[in-house]
Amino acid sequence: MKGAELVLQVLQQHGVDTIFGYPGGAIMPIYDALYQSNVKHYLCRHEQGGAFSAIGYARASGKVGVCMATSGPGATNLITSLADAMLDSVPVVAITGQVSQAVMGSDAFQEIDVLGLSLAVTKHSFMVRSVEELAATLHEAFAIACNGRPGPVLVDIPKDVQLAEVDYQPERGSTAKAVPVNTSLANAAKARALIAAAQKPVAYIGGGVHMAGAMPQLQQFLAANPMPSVTTLKAMGSVAKDNAHYLGMLGMHGTQAANLAVQQCDLLICLGARFDDRVTGNLQKFAPHAKVIHVDIDPAEINKVRFANVALLGDMKQILPAISTNNNYTDWLAHCAQLKQQYGWRYDHPGERIYAPLMLKQLSERMPDNSVVCCDVGQHQMWVAQHMRFSSPRNHLSSGGLGTMGFGLPAAIGAKLARPQDTVITVSGDGSFMMNVQELATIKRFRLPVKIVIVDNQRLGMVKQWQQLFFNERYSETDLSDNPDFVALAAAFAIPGHCITRKDEVESALEAMFTWPGPYLLHVCIDDKDNVWPLVPPGAANEEMITELKA
Amino acid sequence: MNHILNITATNTPAVVERLLQVTRYRGYELAGLQLTPRSDAKSLSITLTVSSDKPIHLLTSQLHKLYDVQQLELAGSELAVLSA
Repeated sequence: MKGAELVLQVLQQHGVDTIFGYPGGAIMPIYDALYQSNVKHYLCRHEQGGAFSAIGYARASGKVGVCMATSGPGATNLITSLADAMLDSVPVVAITGQVSQAVMGSDAFQEIDVLGLSLAVTKHSFMVRSVEELAATLHEAFAIACNGRPGPVLVDIPKDVQLAEVDYQPERGSTAKAVPVNTSLANAAKARALIAAAQKPVAYIGGGVHMAGAMPQLQQFLAANPMPSVTTLKAMGSVAKDNAHYLGMLGMHGTQAANLAVQQCDLLICLGARFDDRVTGNLQKFAPHAKVIHVDIDPAEINKVRFANVALLGDMKQILPAISTNNNYTDWLAHCAQLKQQYGWRYDHPGERIYAPLMLKQLSERMPDNSVVCCDVGQHQMWVAQHMRFSSPRNHLSSGGLGTMGFGLPAAIGAKLARPQDTVITVSGDGSFMMNVQELATIKRFRLPVKIVIVDNQRLGMVKQWQQLFFNERYSETDLSDNPDFVALAAAFAIPGHCITRKDEVESALEAMFTWPGPYLLHVCIDDKDNVWPLVPPGAANEEMITELKA
Repeated sequence: MNHILNITATNTPAVVERLLQVTRYRGYELAGLQLTPRSDAKSLSITLTVSSDKPIHLLTSQLHKLYDVQQLELAGSELAVLSA
């Protein structure tokens, strides 16, 4: 068989039945092999969209996402999405065609040094130099993408390697099974001692918990050691909805209760998180009274930004039971419950106009169980994190580390294909939506019943908010009041839609959206003066949150 | 402060770029680089000398994660001023 056919054989060996991509000159042999393959290819309309769909597929399902692109511009268009997968630790395998080796290095048509470009945005990358090494390289790529801390892997395949003949017999067991994670419980006793000695512990939960498959162990840990818990953006949905001690997201736009509890705690138990600057605010002032227990799979995260008094490396599923004690923090729990009550959200927003936090709360309450919500980036993203509840982090896909506008729509395509039985909703902003709007054509082509909610304030709202607060109200390039008519735009892709402007229209509009069997776009116009609160200003400590200020 | 790292790495086309990219991105200055193919030609012996006021573990922990790095040991540290 040809190298190109081998690629598809290996994908199938790894259980891949869905891939996203866009053809072009240097990857034509693989697309030719696809023509008769059982692997279903979804044509995106921009390689960045295709790779985001692979990310959405991976994050919603827990499987490896696969995307393809041709050499040159096809490959460079993948870079942003690979960076997104890198910073959010998403297992993705990207396959790129490359010009033939005979002309490599000669600035050939559509030739660019993709291996060189990949260094900063992948966990690892390969250039395949002969068809004999192709199968082993692809197997390695899958293993690297999933093992340990997951991440994106790129495999660049020159056209002559795709066309070369090879004798390939799939070996049983060549699809390397997940390598057991090296786990040391040597520090477990020290961790238990710190937990036993603590008066005011807080569990700070990151995306590493669910990615380790440790959601049950987390609930058991929080049940056996009842303590307040807070989550990062990536971990929303990690704590069971009925856990009374859960305080919400922490950080720049976190809840006041979460931030105050963390600032006051004497022990911070960091589980699969990395003390990101959007979480810590001013690092020197972050959780100033707390000792730290840090549990992670990646040794490089330990002591990277915050010293850990006790570190445990390895498999979260093993570590959580090993550090469990049975302690009683009654006074502290009561104090945090009081914070939660004192700083609870208020939805009694005056006026007739739609208040996005309330609309998202209504959406959250109305959406079917196990719906997947895919966000874009900006104010609406923070409102989703604040006002919607999720039963799993796989149901809340948000570009966390890279903060990539344009993520939501293509990610929703991937999520819908990964979980066709579940409702998938994109919540986007008017700025973000336009960044990968071409993927409406993908939704149209495959008749994907994705629900699209555009929260439209005719602004690049988050940037505008910062201009208002920190740049003397100099609104440089954040006015989007000449947005297209989004309902008409959707109609051009045979997607029905509806536009609402008043609070009293929300419930019926949501009902119409969910009742409609196919894709649907709900255009929600909001006041451009509404901002995201609370907010920790840059350089401030997390207890120095500011609230409510209208433009 | 100079730090000397002795590294054994798989001899792949981009391995040196990977080491240098991580070194630069993590905020360490390159102060010396030597590499020799080992007898089997499949791996390289690399001596990487870097300079920074940052703790060296912030770099070594990242270099350890590179797939092509087989072994990495910190041979020693010396004050840059003394080695000048």
